[in-house]
This record gives sequence, structure tokens and C-alpha cells, in this order.
Amino acid sequence: MMRNSKLSLVSDNAQADLEPKAAIRLEDFSAYYGQNCIVSDVNLKLPNKGVTCLVGPSGTGKSTILRWLNRINEETEHASFSGKINILGRDVVKDFPDVTELRRRVGMVFQQPCVFPNSIYDNMFIGLRNQKLSKGEARAMIEESLKSASLWDEVSSRLSDRATALSLGQQQRLCLARALVLKPEVLLLDEPTASIDPISSRAIEDLVISLGRKMPVIMVTHNIGQAKRISDHVIFLCDGKIIEQGSRAHMFSMRSSEQTRTYITEEFCDC
Amino acid sequence: MSERLNIRYAQEKCFALLLRASLLMCGAVLLFLLGSIIVKGISAFSLDFLFIPAEDFGKSGGILYQILGSLLMVTAAACLVLPVALGTALFQISYNTQPNIKYLLEQSLYVLNAIPSITYGLFGLIFFVNVLNTGISWFVGSIILAIMILPTATLSTYQAMAAIPKIYHENAAALGLSKAQVIRRVTLPQSFHGLVTGLLIGLARAIGETAPIMFIATAFSGVTVPQSLVEPVSTLPTHILELAQQSTDPQALQNAWGASLTLLLLVTGFSGLALFLRRRLSSEGHQ
Repeated sequence: MMRNSKLSLVSDNAQADLEPKAAIRLEDFSAYYGQNCIVSDVNLKLPNKGVTCLVGPSGTGKSTILRWLNRINEETEHASFSGKINILGRDVVKDFPDVTELRRRVGMVFQQPCVFPNSIYDNMFIGLRNQKLSKGEARAMIEESLKSASLWDEVSSRLSDRATALSLGQQQRLCLARALVLKPEVLLLDEPTASIDPISSRAIEDLVISLGRKMPVIMVTHNIGQAKRISDHVIFLCDGKIIEQGSRAHMFSMRSSEQTRTYITEEFCDC
Repeated sequence: MSERLNIRYAQEKCFALLLRASLLMCGAVLLFLLGSIIVKGISAFSLDFLFIPAEDFGKSGGILYQILGSLLMVTAAACLVLPVALGTALFQISYNTQPNIKYLLEQSLYVLNAIPSITYGLFGLIFFVNVLNTGISWFVGSIILAIMILPTATLSTYQAMAAIPKIYHENAAALGLSKAQVIRRVTLPQSFHGLVTGLLIGLARAIGETAPIMFIATAFSGVTVPQSLVEPVSTLPTHILELAQQSTDPQALQNAWGASLTLLLLVTGFSGLALFLRRRLSSEGHQ
């Protein structure tokens, strides 16, 4: 038993994996919208590499946790949190007085592909405006990121075309490339494949697996099959609490808790 | 059963007929007004009429200084209203976190929009002319026109900004853009059409107004291009009013129709430009 959330269970091996090099730590974390407590008293440590999937029923606080890791939830009215969030050894509030620095270091891709209504190049460049880069440097960084997102071959000849002309799957990969161009140290993905077709979804899954080898990737997903395919670690949440967390092998085996097994097999949670 | 269906069918038919009749009535009134102005105004309308100054209290000559006066006042009003409307709308969208104040400000704009234009004129007369002792000044008139169209321009901009999906702001913020950069890169480009449309619709209204500027900004005759901020101008609406008062003279009446047609063309121009830019800019913003 961990000292995490009161209900959380962690496999011994997974615990050993997570402890030494935690890239992200949540201590006594609770999140609120107005007076409503959405996530309650969560303690969490995420490793500095690999893909961690947050799974669980809708409205259980997965996205809320994710959205506090780069403080994007500050943009939401009445949202607040208590407890501590520590990313790469720094407190996200005290050590990042300038929230834009935190957000550059902790990239995020949302559920809906959202490209700005200008060119593909401008979409990629928008986050680089703060950095004093020459045109050549910026172009090289953009090319590299588009290649990482497996999009370069499809858009290299039409970077000045409108980004909105791309298919939804391409737009989502562009969003991913746009986040990667800032060279984030952590990547947050909030159901990035929820609104795209299965083929594009697979392309993004492959990308997430390869990104997970270089940096911590935390992804919210409702798709259990997807979590099974791409995750290194899985955290199962229900009703604002962590029910169980552990390695993929543990979570998708018969050794996991009954609640986890019920959710994984029936996508139903009775917590 | 079939009787009930017949009754329902007849009711629907009647309702559709009523709607058609309303549309016809509306169209007929508009056609009659436009037709009258065009038919009666076209005889006075010529290049000379547009480009020579009025003579003999407008009975002869053209309307050059009236056109210039009107354009000068609405241009100054546009310059004054643009930053204030933009600032108010941006404050409402990006910085006003108090829902009550947000609601209050929004409702105040709707109330301001409904104030009769003569009230603005009286305010200008009391505050500027009497209290500040500015005298009759075209610039004071522009300030009053700017105050008058401020709600239209602000609400149009605010509504365009409020229509931008929140996800755009979040995506930009997630890329490390500061609030000011999000406004510059996301909010403004996607809501610019609202500002332009609101401004042009406001100006179309302002250019046709007589009441708010009659006592504070205009003189009925003998004015040319103003040399300072505190000189009067002559405008198309006040000129039409003056000519209408001499309507027993056929020449004055004909020039009144000619000036009305010119004003109508200017208002239509502003409204048409507003529609065109709204379509153009909004499709660019959301493509």
C-alpha cells in the first residue's frame, strides 16, 4: 500500500519503477470548480520517461489533474486546487512565477484538434515567437518537429497553405508538432485521438510511444485498448480518487484489483 | 381526425400568409421610401452638385462642404470610438473575471444603445458647450457621435470575441503565450470583423443623425472646411433640415431631395461595406 490516495494500490514492481526518478509529483492534491471538489487528496509520482495513461469513467477528474500540471486550468473560471504539484523538481506555483515558462516546458495537446486560422508555418511558429531565432533556425526547428510528428512528408511543399485545410488527423498531428517544436520536457495529452479516425489515431499512438522513450508523456484516454497498446504505466481513477496504479503488465493482468478489472473488462465502475 | 388535420393545415397556411404579408409590407415601405428619394433626388444629383459649395442657403449650388463636414465628423468619431470599443470589449473578454460586473457592463451597453440621440445632443450642449465653454465645435460633435455609437461598436466587437471558442485561447496559452500575446495572435485576428462591422454600422447611423449635433457642432450656412477643432461645420442631415424648412421654394426642395439621395448613398455605402467586410474578414478568421 502506498501513502498515496487512501484507496490506491500499486504493484511492488511498479512502485520501484516510479520512486527513484519521479518527474511529476502530486502531494495531497485536490481540485475544485467553485465549491465542488472534483479530485480529492491525490498523491502521485510519475516517472521521468514512458507513457502514463490516466483511465477511468467520465467526470472522474482525469483531465482536471492533467490541466493543473501546466496550470492551464487557471484559464477556467472558478477552478482552483490545493496541495502541491512538482514538475521536474520544481513547484509549479512557487517556482514558476511566470506561468508561460511552465507551459513552454510542459507541452499539451487537447482533445479537439485546434489549429489557428492561418498557415501551417504560422501555426508552428506561434510558440517560437518568444525565442530570438533566426529564420533559418526557426525553419529547421519546425521541420524537425513536423518530422517527429510524421507530418513533414505531407505538408513540406505547402507550409504556407491554411492549416484548416488539413484533415482532422493531420490537424491533430500538427497540434502535436506545434507542442513539440518548443522542446517540452513533459508532454500532456488530453484524449488526443478522441475525435479522429482510427488510421490517424494509430499514427498518433505510434508517435506517443516513440515520444515516451524520450520524455514523460501523460495521456488521458477513455480507450482501454489504446491504454493497453501504448502505456508503460496506468493510473485508474474513479470518483476523483486514484483506485489503483501500476505498470501496464500489472494493470491488465489478473493481479489487478477487482474494481480495475471490472472497469477494464466492462468499462463500468461501481466505486 | 381528418377535420383536425384540415384545421391545422389551414392554421399553418394562415400563419405563413401573415408572415408573407409582413414581409411584403416591410418591403413596400422600404421600396416606397427608397423609390421616392431616388426618383425625386436624381434630378438634382450631378457631379457639380457633389463638388461645388452651397449658395444662397443651399437653394442653389451643391453640397461639397456638407459632404466634407459629415465625413470629417464620422471619421473623427471612428478614430475616437475604435480604441475605446476595442479596449472595453477586450477587458470584458480577457480581464473581467467578476461575472456580476461583466453582466452589469454588458447591460449598460444595451441601455446606452437605446438612449434617444437627442439626449446625447443635450448632454453635449450642457457639458461641452455650457460647462466646458467649447462653443460650437465639430470636434465636440464627433465626441458626441463617438459616445453615441460606442455601444454598437463595443457590443459587436464583444460578441465577435465571445464567439471565439475557448479552446483557441487554451491552445495558445498552452504554447506559452502570455495573455497579451493570446489577445494579439488569437483574439484580435478572429474578432476584427466584429469591430469593423460594429464601427461601420455605428457610423452609418451617426452620419445620418441630426439631433445630437444640431446644437453643438453645426452651422446652417456660411461654413467651409474648419481650420481648428472648435469651429462649426455643415453636415448633410442639418443641410437637409435647413432646406426642408424652405420647402415652399421648389429649388430648395429639389436640392433637399438631392442631398437626401447623397446621404442615402453614403449610409448604404457604409452598411454595404460593413456587410462585405463582415463576410470577408469572418471567413478569413474562421476558415
